[in-house]
Amino acid sequence: MAFNAVKEKYRSKVGEVTLGATKEQGGTRGYTITVGGEGALPFLHFEGEIPNRPVVALEVWDHAPADWNACFDSYFGDVYNDAAAWAKKCVEEYGADLIVLRLKGADPDINDASPEDCAKVVKDVLAAVECPLVVLGCGKEEKDNQVLPVVAEETSGENLLIGVAEQENYKSLTAACMVHKHNIIAQSPIDINICKQLNILITEMNLPDDRIVIDPTIAALGYGLEYGYSIMERARNGALQGDKMLGLPMIGNVGFEVWRTKEANASVEDFPAWGEQEPRGILWEATTATALLQAGMDIVVMRHPKAASLIKQNIEELMVANEV
Amino acid sequence: QDEGLAEGYAIKPVCRKVKLSLTEPTLTENVSDWNRLQAALRSELDCGEIHIALPVLRELAETLRAGDWDVTVTVAQLNGCAEVVHLEPGHSDRKSFGLAVDIGTTTVVVYLIDLDSGLTLGKKGTYNKQARYGDDVITRMIHASDKKGGLQDLHKAVIDTINQLIDEVLEQSQASGDDVHMAMVAGNSTMTHLFLGLTPKYIRLEPYIPLAAETPPVRAEELGLNINPTAFVATFASVASYVGGDIVSGTLVTNMAQSDEITLFIDIGTNGEMVLGNRDWLMTAACSAGPAFEGGGITFGMRAMKGAIEYVEIDADTYEVKVSTIGKMKPMGICGSGLIDCLAKLREVGLIDRAGKIQTDLDTPRIRQGDDGWEFVLVFGEETECNKDIIITENDIKNLLRAKGAVYAGIRSMLKAVQLDEEVIEKVLIAGGFGNFINIRDAISIGLLPDLPPEKYRFIGNSSVKGARLSLLSQDAYHEAQELGKKMTYLELSVGNDFMDEFMSALFIPHTDMTLFPSVTNLK
Amino acid sequence: MGLTGLEIFKQLPKTNTGDCGFPTCLAFAMALAAGKTSLDKCPHVSEEAKEALGAAAAPPIKLVKVGTGDHAVEMGDETELFRHDKRFYHPTALAVLIEDTEDVAARVAAFDELEFDRVGLHFVTDMVALQCTSGDGAKFKAAAEAVAAGTQKPFVLICEDVAAMETAATAVADKKPLLYAATNDNYEAMTELAKKLECPLAVKGNGLADLADLVEKITKLGYKELVLDSGNRETSQVLADLTQIRRSAVRKRFRPFGYPAMAFTTKDDPMEEVVQAGVYLSKYAGMIVLKASKKEEILPLVSWRQNLFTDPQKPIQVEAKAVAVGDVTPDSPVYITTNFSLTYYIVEGEVEGSKVPAWIVPVNTDGISVLTAWAAGKLTGDSINKALKENDMESKVNHKTLVLPGYVAVLSGSTEEETGWKVIVGPREAAGIGKFAKDNFGK
Ligand code: B12
Ligand code: SF4
Repeated sequence: MAFNAVKEKYRSKVGEVTLGATKEQGGTRGYTITVGGEGALPFLHFEGEIPNRPVVALEVWDHAPADWNACFDSYFGDVYNDAAAWAKKCVEEYGADLIVLRLKGADPDINDASPEDCAKVVKDVLAAVECPLVVLGCGKEEKDNQVLPVVAEETSGENLLIGVAEQENYKSLTAACMVHKHNIIAQSPIDINICKQLNILITEMNLPDDRIVIDPTIAALGYGLEYGYSIMERARNGALQGDKMLGLPMIGNVGFEVWRTKEANASVEDFPAWGEQEPRGILWEATTATALLQAGMDIVVMRHPKAASLIKQNIEELMVANEV
Repeated sequence: QDEGLAEGYAIKPVCRKVKLSLTEPTLTENVSDWNRLQAALRSELDCGEIHIALPVLRELAETLRAGDWDVTVTVAQLNGCAEVVHLEPGHSDRKSFGLAVDIGTTTVVVYLIDLDSGLTLGKKGTYNKQARYGDDVITRMIHASDKKGGLQDLHKAVIDTINQLIDEVLEQSQASGDDVHMAMVAGNSTMTHLFLGLTPKYIRLEPYIPLAAETPPVRAEELGLNINPTAFVATFASVASYVGGDIVSGTLVTNMAQSDEITLFIDIGTNGEMVLGNRDWLMTAACSAGPAFEGGGITFGMRAMKGAIEYVEIDADTYEVKVSTIGKMKPMGICGSGLIDCLAKLREVGLIDRAGKIQTDLDTPRIRQGDDGWEFVLVFGEETECNKDIIITENDIKNLLRAKGAVYAGIRSMLKAVQLDEEVIEKVLIAGGFGNFINIRDAISIGLLPDLPPEKYRFIGNSSVKGARLSLLSQDAYHEAQELGKKMTYLELSVGNDFMDEFMSALFIPHTDMTLFPSVTNLK
Repeated sequence: MGLTGLEIFKQLPKTNTGDCGFPTCLAFAMALAAGKTSLDKCPHVSEEAKEALGAAAAPPIKLVKVGTGDHAVEMGDETELFRHDKRFYHPTALAVLIEDTEDVAARVAAFDELEFDRVGLHFVTDMVALQCTSGDGAKFKAAAEAVAAGTQKPFVLICEDVAAMETAATAVADKKPLLYAATNDNYEAMTELAKKLECPLAVKGNGLADLADLVEKITKLGYKELVLDSGNRETSQVLADLTQIRRSAVRKRFRPFGYPAMAFTTKDDPMEEVVQAGVYLSKYAGMIVLKASKKEEILPLVSWRQNLFTDPQKPIQVEAKAVAVGDVTPDSPVYITTNFSLTYYIVEGEVEGSKVPAWIVPVNTDGISVLTAWAAGKLTGDSINKALKENDMESKVNHKTLVLPGYVAVLSGSTEEETGWKVIVGPREAAGIGKFAKDNFGK
């Protein structure tokens, strides 16, 4: 019985989304990044084209995070209070492909920063780095509805990726992204149907599907990672089988989720059976990311520089063509 | 159309009169009257055991002699046995009638049938009097099992309902109840239980087991039906707790089990039962759609009666609405087909989004906040029969989405279980009172029914009572129905996640997988 | 996957006798297609059909066992490509590499202590992979004996030199180690040895086509306790190989690949190694040999393994535990709902939106909706009472008033009776909770 490779014939492929705009394109970025476009399951080069590699982003906040693990101090302690410098360091020293700027300071319970202040931070970061930028709100619906449209307007033409739009709250952000030419993150709560619904609702507001990135919501390793993994895997299968509303690149907030867990943060003194804290945290983050990459994640948002570089290397190795 | 039998069945009623001339007994030829009758019957009929009930037996001696050993025997033949249900002296030409009965949770229908000619002499329907103990089956089950005398209440209520209808059909066709010798009764499992006075308690509770799936024939007087007391009453076997004899009976009239074509048969009532298959295999499921399409649980929902809105037109720019009602009266409410139409139109003009949310930023006084959240006014009070604004609320819409989602998810789950695609379905037969009126295009555009070419769809009305009639008139058909019940493979939707996955994908207009609805064009 | 239910059904008698324990032949066929029963349960199936269905009835991937006793490791017997379709059954075995040139006893002792407790679960590494680096049969044998003495857990003997393998393996054959590996050069002798010692045998090919040939040759020699290694070591290629092996077996029932597959990490840096192993763990390795052995390195891997091999078919439900939404006080209202996740999250969203902090008590209804649960007798005064008690609601609030979903207003009486709490009937749809909360509990 001779071996005949089983190659799937897919009906469709994932759509591509380009982030950032160069001068010629009406923005100020040094380069753009295109994600998506896969014509096969993750890294199965033998059966379809994988034109863009997944990219690794590092997370930057607009104010010094109060509760990050002390192990981050040696990497970011000097730039915590300066988002622009922080971003620059992420790109230049830690090799981030792009930056995810989280406007935590807008949270009414934190700094209650005004939309204008937020827009200024975004512009500062844009000025400091050449890479495309992802901007996330503070997570409080009402405030984000005030902040993000202003950010979108003030950075018009930069082709940012802005998030997040949710099922109950997608209209104002979608409208802002449309008018000011940005991309949007459509976030759904680990539910493939809501994920599709939201994408349909957004495209029906006439934002083209090549400007939507899916955040199907993920959980950290040990906290339901398998749910996010399966949703991504189902979405990717669906996309290849022709479901356009799943055929969009996916983003995962790996660092954010992982560094909330006890496993990443607990000291070796408290949990001797778990080994050293920092390498454990790094590997907790890297393992979460490596698993999700196998499910189809396109934009990996990391927090620890070491974990980010491990994942970048992993992606590089997986982008080497394989054949059967 | 109604008067014909389904293809492949000839008239050979399960109950008919046989005229016999017995040889008179002598001193040497001295078997008993009953043996004599049996021997004569056996030479006329192809049957196994012959039974007779005591009250009939009591009449035997005198009847035989009164007719001078000529006798007319009314025999019911079921399951290979024969039952003598009535005797008349001499060779009688009195007609004999049968009843075909459909006991629905909401409505009960009775047909009076001439067992010789096969003609339907009268048809009557009315609401099930059990409704006073609860609108839905579950409330009734609870009443029957938890209230003292509850079972009796419900049993009596359904018998009263049927008796009322019997009186009406008899009067309509000037017939006498004494001449009714057979009744064929189809109903869902709970209704069949209550009709026979059996407790439905355990149908409701895990692991959802009926007291009996196959129920024996009984005599009219045991139930108190207003027909000849010795008349035979047969019921259809059910397949599962929520797929009853009404579905078996309905499947019979579809003829799907005689065909190579894969057919989907759906009874869109409260429970949304469906059968998929062909000559080789049959699968069935109950998707539990709920009563929304019968108007239940919808603010202005109503059954398809005079005054019910059945079509809606909405202007895409002004959002002005035009409605038309059954009987061209002032509107009173909206019936199932009207609701489907309404949902389709609301979506078409963008008044609701695909998730069923009312678009509150649109400029029209018809959108407003009410007691139940956002609502859309279909007809303002001055134009309605009830002088109240007829509205559809966001909650109503959600309810409709659940109902249509459950039906579509049921269909998908069955297809998935046999790993077939929608395209293999050659025919879709829709039964159910409301089924008759739905607009297929609308139903597809909201994602209630699969996106198949409209010519594949057909309405077959109340298939349950039609199946009962067919079984009454054809022994072969009755036999086939018994077999069908055994042949159907029941798919339990509450096991595993497949149904729920499908259900959640279907809570959207038309569906979150738009590729399943290629003919539904993208609208605003 | 193999044959579909209908394809199998065509071969059955279609007489619906029920002797197989299923009500109809179709039900039996579907169960068979799903791997939930076996063909021999039908006494009426014809010889012809048996033949035709033979492959469909056999598991696509053979179950292979390494080691003995409680710690024996089972691999294979998987039927799926994606865990969202149905669960994966046999968690990837993690084997820690030890060389015979090291202090084997000490390393084995350290290995044996690699255990973790997390969220009430106990994790261990499964195997030792002992490599013959010395090239010396006697040394390898001594090392093998040290492993056998040092741990109950099974092990792999890595050595392509048949003579050295024989020396070591014979000494510890009763522990049923996995012999690694039969290659093109040694397969006859290696297979002979595995057969004689009744130990499972790893087959190392030179790429997939070669591996398939080699497996065929070995099975012709009459041995089928096999574990597959494509021989490739580049991450990307190994991913492709593992995927092909799994797919060919599951989708095409390609017999030579109907065995569990294994992978080796290649990185020197333990962190890189963990990431590389994460790829193989996600995609179909039945076993991974790695060098990393520190707790912080192994813990993420065993945790991912645990997550990946959970059953995805559990009903979509939330834990039936009372949840405080917002800054609750002892005066906060108590809402009753079910633990069906769709229901629960809709209600939670609305309670949150109402801005009135409150407790939500999801009653365990086996994950079904309010009305379905009422219909099935799972949402009752009694079950509500149980939920209040189990969540100790009496000590969480200082009142005894609860809010019932409007759809089950009929339960008010029995609920008040069973619980002794006063019932307020809420709105029917959760969307009404905002207004309801303001009207009833707003200041
Ligand atoms: C899907 C479904 C099923 C699925 C199960 C789904 C599941 N996991 O629950 C299946 C197919 C398995 C099923 C089975 C049955 N079902 Co069913 N099912 C439905 C259906 C279509 C939707 C239910 C649903 O998911 N609703 C969505 C959730 C979110 O709604 P919900 O839980 O009620 O929550 C809402 C409100 O109650 C409220 N709310 C919830 N909690 C709270 C709390 C507070 C404080 C407040 C204020 C509000 C509130 O807010 C929510 C959103 O607005 C309905 C009909 C319909 N159109 O609604 C029938 C329905 C519920 N089922 C029904 C029945 C009878 C059954 C069965 C007993 C029999 C049958 N027909 O098959 C079986 C038995 C169940 C079993 N085996 O255990 C009946 C119920 C009773 C009745 N009135 O007759 C219904 C109404 C349909 C009908 N035939 O009339 N069913
Ligand atoms: S035992 Fe065989 S013939 Fe009988 S129902 Fe089962 S599969 Fe059909």
